[in-house]
Amino acid sequence: MNTSGSSVSVLRRLRGANNEGVLALILIGLVLAMSAANPAFFTLPTMFAIVRSSIVPLIFALGVLIVIISGGIDVSFAAIAVFAAYTTVRFSTSITDPGLIGAFALALLVGAGLGLVNGAVIARFKLPTLIVTLGTQGIFKGALLTYIGSRYIADLPGSMAAVSTTNVVEISVDGRDAYLHVMAVPALLLCLAVAWMLRRTMFGRGIYAIGGDQEAARRAGFRVVRIQVLMYVLVGMLAAVGGMAYQIMGRSSSPQELVGGELDIIAAVVLGGASIFGGRGSVLGTTLGVLVVQVIGNSLILAGVPSAWQRAAVGGLLIVGVGVQALAAKKSGRRVHTNVDDPAPEPEPEAEREREGARA
Amino acid sequence: MNKRPSSTNAFVRFNDAVGDQWSQISDRLLVSRGASRMLILVILSFAFFAALNPSVFLSPLNLQNIAVASPEVGVIAIAMMLAMLTGGIDLSLVAIANLSAITISTLYSAVAAGNPAAAEQLTPVLVLIGLVVGLLGGLFNGFLVSRVGITPILATLGTMQIYNGIAVAWTGGSTLYGSPEVLTAIGHATVAGVPMLFIIFLLTAGVIGVVVSRTPLGLRIQFQGANPVAARYSGINSRRVLMSTHVVAGLLGGLAGVLFIARNPTASADYGASYVLLVIVIAVLGGTNPAGGFGTVAGVVLATLTLQIVSSGFTAVRLSAYEYAMAQGVILILVMVADQVTWRRRRRPQTTPVDPVAVGT
Repeated sequence: MNTSGSSVSVLRRLRGANNEGVLALILIGLVLAMSAANPAFFTLPTMFAIVRSSIVPLIFALGVLIVIISGGIDVSFAAIAVFAAYTTVRFSTSITDPGLIGAFALALLVGAGLGLVNGAVIARFKLPTLIVTLGTQGIFKGALLTYIGSRYIADLPGSMAAVSTTNVVEISVDGRDAYLHVMAVPALLLCLAVAWMLRRTMFGRGIYAIGGDQEAARRAGFRVVRIQVLMYVLVGMLAAVGGMAYQIMGRSSSPQELVGGELDIIAAVVLGGASIFGGRGSVLGTTLGVLVVQVIGNSLILAGVPSAWQRAAVGGLLIVGVGVQALAAKKSGRRVHTNVDDPAPEPEPEAEREREGARA
Repeated sequence: MNKRPSSTNAFVRFNDAVGDQWSQISDRLLVSRGASRMLILVILSFAFFAALNPSVFLSPLNLQNIAVASPEVGVIAIAMMLAMLTGGIDLSLVAIANLSAITISTLYSAVAAGNPAAAEQLTPVLVLIGLVVGLLGGLFNGFLVSRVGITPILATLGTMQIYNGIAVAWTGGSTLYGSPEVLTAIGHATVAGVPMLFIIFLLTAGVIGVVVSRTPLGLRIQFQGANPVAARYSGINSRRVLMSTHVVAGLLGGLAGVLFIARNPTASADYGASYVLLVIVIAVLGGTNPAGGFGTVAGVVLATLTLQIVSSGFTAVRLSAYEYAMAQGVILILVMVADQVTWRRRRRPQTTPVDPVAVGT
């Protein structure tokens, strides 16, 4: 790889371990193209609107990223999110309002419990994660609608409703007001926290190790079962925060929402460079992936293209992104995103892991 | 190795031979178990709900409903099983089916606006075009998976978004009305009390079953999924196998679209959104190994029936659709756990005799 000269290695570094550089270029290119085509795009209100619409997908994407790095796929996070958030709202409106912190604590508790179910089944019985989370998705949603409630709640409890209308930044530009919703702050903090956890803690390194090779991770001394269970608990809690953010920003609570959009989030995470085989992926890439998806949606609307094409555009981008990687891997003799031939482990993640391990 | 007395070698050889025999026998048991376990589940669930509320559950109307509702899900589940046989997955099937249904509806409406009689006469052509749409969708999937080399789950996640996006943009998100009356008539027709759709379903299942178990292609598909490396070294053209699998899956998706529109003379982009995950549940429940290499059409057909029976049974005993969703998840996880436990028990006697040998050398 390094034989072709130092300029290549610089380029490689700029590109990032998970193509973050390429994604950033696409993002900048999209923003520039849209700004040139429509001056209304490059304004603070638009930027804030994009950030606002990215908050909830981003929080979900963090959880999905963690599971994908560990070599799994989680399709139950939306069910956990809606379960935790709706249960909290239902509790707060019908029994007593526990305050904002209490509400989040309750949601986190519920999310952790549901995550524990996922983790326990997956780690104990070593079942495919996609199948288990498919099952728990149905169980969680069914249990929510059967035992907690199926009614749409239009009024959030006072403590949550107060946050709904709070903005962290309010700027007036050229007579137009730009608002940045306060939920952007916890989303950003969560990004930093997850990035730190994945890169700097033994737990995070363990997740990468399990995703790279579960058996190797076990022999290297990682407690695979414990890491997996803890990880799914954590992912459940992230989903709960995402659900709370969704309801707070939507100013209502419905048990019928969120579930069904899982694949869109997974697409954004994969777009962000996470390998579906596990072992690689980064918070930066995921954040860029979510932003690209949102910017595409926003640009299409501004460009007068029916928003229906957003899905097709994201799908096309996903195919092109992964396809280019697969073709490049084929050319250089490695096999990454393929099951056509033998899925030989690529050397790169290991080197990456060692480098980061040494740094930590 | 040389130090060891020959009697141990003979013993080891004998032990290995017994082990091989045992694993062959148990493999055969497992093959039949996939389908026979589902048969037991079908009978049990049927008997259970028939006992709970015979007057509603056993009514001809309810039984016909089961038979009319299963084909469209079942055909997609069979396609999913095919994709899983190669060790892949196809998330785009429902989107393909909807695209096929939308194409038929749009073309019919376009022709019928000018000449209704001609539109009716064109029905076979329209159905063919619907199937071709499925074929093309599968062809693109196959191209991405086998030529470009994208992992099936990612390739079909992408194409699912593309096909669905095209469908939404095409219909503007609204439901299309208008379909050939002949198709609707077929959708309502019964032969000796059995709905025509169900017969079509069984015929399709039979054809695919023969393809999977009796043709070279089917054997290659199973081999490719069981061990891609071994398949490659055995001279199997994995590209061609993956391509054919996805084309056949796409074709079945197109057929499902025809069934959609025959059962219900409307077409929309978001019809059957819950099917995407449901068919994975059915395929796995029917004994398909999601890692590839094993699955039977009979198992999938029976799993389709089981879920449909449980669904209408829940309605018959006045349980909600939500409780059905829960039951679906519980059944899936229980079956997987049961599989896992028996797999472990089967593996243990095979691995233990190897250990002393390893220690000895």
